[in-house]
Amino acid sequence: MVMLNQRGSSQHEFWNLLSKKLSNEATSEELAELQSVLLNNPDLHHQADMLTEMWQQEITNMSPVSEAAYMRHIMKHKDEFFVEENPIEVNTDDTVSETNPGFFRNLFSKKRSTVFSILAFMILTTGAIYLITQKNDTKVPAEQAISSVVTKNGNRTKIVLPDGSQVWLNAGSNLDYNNSVFNKDLREVTLNGEAYFDVTKNAEKPFIIHTKKMDVKVIGTAFNVRSYSYEKTAEASLIRGSIEVTFKDRKDQKIILIPNQKISVANDEIEAPVEKPRKTSVIKNDVRSIPQFVVDELKPNPKYDIIPEIAWTQNKLFFEDESLENIAPMLERWFGKKVVIANASLKNLHYYGNFENETMEEVLSYLKLSKPFNFKIEPDSVVIY
Amino acid sequence: MNRTDDLISLGERIANNDQLAYRQLFILFYNKLARFVMGFTKSKELTEEIVSDVFINIWRRRKNIEEIKNLKLYLYVSAKNITFNYLKKLHRENLTDLDSVEIEPEDPFADPGAAMITREMNLKLKAAINELPPRCKLIFTLIKEDGLTYKQTATLLNISESTVENQLSIALKKISGSIRYTFRHN
Repeated sequence: MVMLNQRGSSQHEFWNLLSKKLSNEATSEELAELQSVLLNNPDLHHQADMLTEMWQQEITNMSPVSEAAYMRHIMKHKDEFFVEENPIEVNTDDTVSETNPGFFRNLFSKKRSTVFSILAFMILTTGAIYLITQKNDTKVPAEQAISSVVTKNGNRTKIVLPDGSQVWLNAGSNLDYNNSVFNKDLREVTLNGEAYFDVTKNAEKPFIIHTKKMDVKVIGTAFNVRSYSYEKTAEASLIRGSIEVTFKDRKDQKIILIPNQKISVANDEIEAPVEKPRKTSVIKNDVRSIPQFVVDELKPNPKYDIIPEIAWTQNKLFFEDESLENIAPMLERWFGKKVVIANASLKNLHYYGNFENETMEEVLSYLKLSKPFNFKIEPDSVVIY
Repeated sequence: MNRTDDLISLGERIANNDQLAYRQLFILFYNKLARFVMGFTKSKELTEEIVSDVFINIWRRRKNIEEIKNLKLYLYVSAKNITFNYLKKLHRENLTDLDSVEIEPEDPFADPGAAMITREMNLKLKAAINELPPRCKLIFTLIKEDGLTYKQTATLLNISESTVENQLSIALKKISGSIRYTFRHN
């Protein structure tokens, strides 16, 4: 039993015993001893309780630091982690298919052999010409001479229009314009897909882009228009200058965008809601109607200095907190290979991605590290399951 | 213990090339190991490199991982050894001295349901921990926050278990002293 007059050493004993108890190092004798000390020194109770509470406090463990560090760690030792059990066979047979222009990208990938590259390039050149020529061969009256620029999935291309305007066409898109009348009174093009426009200034000759649901009228400016028929919404994002948007089915309504604004239009009239708006000003048609389009602000990702909507023009594959369901078509377009999500429960997993030169396999390997899934690369498709 | 079982099963999976398990191990220990290493190196870049080395070694030797009796201690010891090697190479052996370690304690979560410790006290607590002498603070952190045992701490730091005991008691006493002061003035 510890006496009050042995305060000095009992104090030290007390701390020692308490430490052991808190760190689970105390023997049963020591625990009993601690009890006894406390009984005889009630003023120590408070301190003991306090320290116990402190010891057991929860620590805030919000740390994305370790996740980022893991990514860096893996990429530092790429070769040791990204090893597929079933290596993809680079089959020269595949290259012959002109409907698989994904090789356009592979062509410039440093990983392929020189011989293969040259072969693909030759085939592709023929393929590219083939595509454009074919469009011209369709039943188009001679005087119309529609020029058509088509990119298949996996390609991106840049063209210069007769007036000097530049258009970067994203994968799976086509841009049409009448070569003979372009730049006469109007500068009109028709777009299905996605393109980034840098339009030369000419107030006399408005530049108009026709898409399925909206017309975008431009004076001289840089902006992005996205209107894929199979997507739920169509968007126009303004980077510089100003554009005026009118709607095919509501001719009286005009929206003017200022830089860093973006408009999203529902492609399907029945389906009203548009994708996750951030800061929005919603314009309603009438009081009780569901919003059919939304004007948003473009938000550059501060960390990477990219505006997501135009990341593709810098040859970056970028998505922020996107569901796998939305990522799959992006990958399809980027790599030119069909992507199938076999397991529906995976569709709603969200990922963040920032890629530049990676192959499909690398991108998927990377993504699955953050939220797991399996994937299988087949000759003409990729299956996620 | 639940934790050790988890580690054992993680080890087994890693030995079988399971990258998800490997990632889990990394995420589980990265922050703590980084904090430990940083205490010596005082450099973020060097710290990250060292911890990366620790883990790449694990991956490279994953076939034999099950031979390691205590994976947690192994990670810390490995971190320390690699750190000391780097510091030696950089002619900064002085930093390997335990008395020059600067370890950053974690931020306790101000639990609104806490019976006794108010937010103010938490701040005082944090300050008190920070003011502990380096060696004492290191030992306190390893035991309280990283959950190392007395024995593991002693092994890791190459000191005796009684030193560990002693230092921990001193830590608790000093910390308590600072709160008591607060309490009186409340």
